Amino acid sequence: MPTEAVPTTVTLTPQQALWLELMPFYTREAWLLDERKLREWLTLFTDDVLYFMPRRKNVPRREAHRELTAPGDLAILEEDKRYLEMRVARLDSGMAWAEDPPSRTRHMVGNLEAETLANGEVKARTAFLVYRSHLETDHQLLSGYREDVLRRVDGAWRIARRTIVLDANVLLDKNLSVFL
Amino acid sequence: MGDARKYNVIDPATGKVDRSIFVERAIYDEEMAKIFGRAWLMIGHESLVPKPDDYFHTYMGEDPVILTRDGSGRLHALLNMCRHRGNRLVRCDDGNAKRFMCAYHGWTYRNDGALETVPGKSEAYYDALDFAAMSLIEARVDTYAGIVFATWAKDAPSLEAYLGDARWYLDTVFNRRDCGMQALGPTKWLEPANWKTMVDNCSDNYHVPTSHLSSAAVQSRFLGRPRLSHDDQFHSPNKHVFVNGHSLTFRDADDNMPRYMHGVSTETMQLFEEYHRDTQAEVERRLGKLRARQVQLGNHSIFPNGVLGFRLALPRGPLKTEFWHFVLLDNDAPEALKRVIRIGSMANNGAAGMFEQDDVDNWRQVTEASFSHTARGYAQDLSMGVGHAGSHPDYPGVVSERYISENNQRLFYQRWEQFMNAGGWADIPLEPIRARFDGTATMHG
Repeated sequence: MPTEAVPTTVTLTPQQALWLELMPFYTREAWLLDERKLREWLTLFTDDVLYFMPRRKNVPRREAHRELTAPGDLAILEEDKRYLEMRVARLDSGMAWAEDPPSRTRHMVGNLEAETLANGEVKARTAFLVYRSHLETDHQLLSGYREDVLRRVDGAWRIARRTIVLDANVLLDKNLSVFL
Repeated sequence: MGDARKYNVIDPATGKVDRSIFVERAIYDEEMAKIFGRAWLMIGHESLVPKPDDYFHTYMGEDPVILTRDGSGRLHALLNMCRHRGNRLVRCDDGNAKRFMCAYHGWTYRNDGALETVPGKSEAYYDALDFAAMSLIEARVDTYAGIVFATWAKDAPSLEAYLGDARWYLDTVFNRRDCGMQALGPTKWLEPANWKTMVDNCSDNYHVPTSHLSSAAVQSRFLGRPRLSHDDQFHSPNKHVFVNGHSLTFRDADDNMPRYMHGVSTETMQLFEEYHRDTQAEVERRLGKLRARQVQLGNHSIFPNGVLGFRLALPRGPLKTEFWHFVLLDNDAPEALKRVIRIGSMANNGAAGMFEQDDVDNWRQVTEASFSHTARGYAQDLSMGVGHAGSHPDYPGVVSERYISENNQRLFYQRWEQFMNAGGWADIPLEPIRARFDGTATMHG
């Protein structure tokens, strides 16, 4: 049978090109977190970042708009860059007992969907499963998604806003001392 | 009663505490009846159910409870249990509903607890079901400055008597303004520790410069907050005081400074100072000069399970506690100030709070030391400052001479014994109200 000619180039839609650009960004971020390179991890955020984790309530299906607490309500985390830097500096002190000795974590990040916004920034959603093992036998699986706004700063993507939504009402872990 | 008492778990002269009270299931079960079945328990805040027919789902110990505001505005604490088989009526955290329908067989109750509709009332029950006897089980409710308390005990004293002179101090945070406060939250998480350990920790300022050194150090570096050392703590003019089971600490300084709160930094200090100045006349009118200027409530617990203000340590078995973190804000405070306090509160406390996350492994291991054979043979030691507390000319309650003391913790476990050894409220001592409540503030705002 005659073989058909194999095309030598693949044309990507802008959407696919964006996906291929962002997936390694998120893979790199996961390795930075799991290898505890947190100062390097901090450089992935813009100076005006909002790192936000709302609470997640049990509400009737028809009131789904109330499921996540709104900005201005009490959240689990609502941090700016300085607070994130403070948290990382704290871990370096040798006396941040929740993480000293440190947790063993594995961030599995996938299900990436990205769209370019009118102002050139990108909205990117990813799902995560993060395994945390601490001290002798403590362990926890944290499931959820992130919705990021990414901005190009000096040619590199930076996270300008991160909303983290955990798949939990009562958090089952003893504390939340790892980054998501 | 002496040796006839069933529970004799702390020796006040040595501060030795029997470790079994932290892990034994039978003791825990008895706590649920004799402490959580009797005491006035914090269950919510009026601002969580602001409108008629609002509800907020909460707990009294392990019992699920619906806090409702009925159509006429009255508050109810209703056991979340259908009287038929025991299913929960409410499965949501909060909402607005005139009625609650059981998802099992459709029994429907009004939000004041009355049973209204039963499918097959005539066809299946032959009109023999006594509706009036099948209302939802209701607890007694009262409020203090917007905080909602409830008790199952019919023989319990009034909430005012229960809080007693502790309110003299609590007012300096919870009852400052005419506008009242607003509760935001909760963040909820499960800690693997006995509930009593996190309650007694509220008066343990001894742990702060060790457990929380890393957080204090970075906050001093990044936010300009004061440094924290053992020496500062040992020489602090602050005091500990104990009333009716409630363990309080307070700042005692006649410098009329803004209250130390979450969110204070060199940049935000001006906001706090302005607010302090702008509200000073009102606070003095409400609380009198001494409390408005000199006394500032610090870390404290409200017996049995209120932890640092309106935050709850909900028992979930001897080795588990569900923690609920709320933040309370003065209703009429400037939005900029509310934001700063809210964000500061999240950064410090809650599951991810920099301070709070460092506590849990300590509490867990203190609890678990009661398990292994050799360890459990050695009692906990709460001997610090034995013999150095008593009455004070200016301040109500049992006041410790020094700020760093385990006096409140010893008294907390003695209060625990009083509840556990009592046959009813008649056997539980209450200190009479002796404090002079200067100013216009009352129990209800």
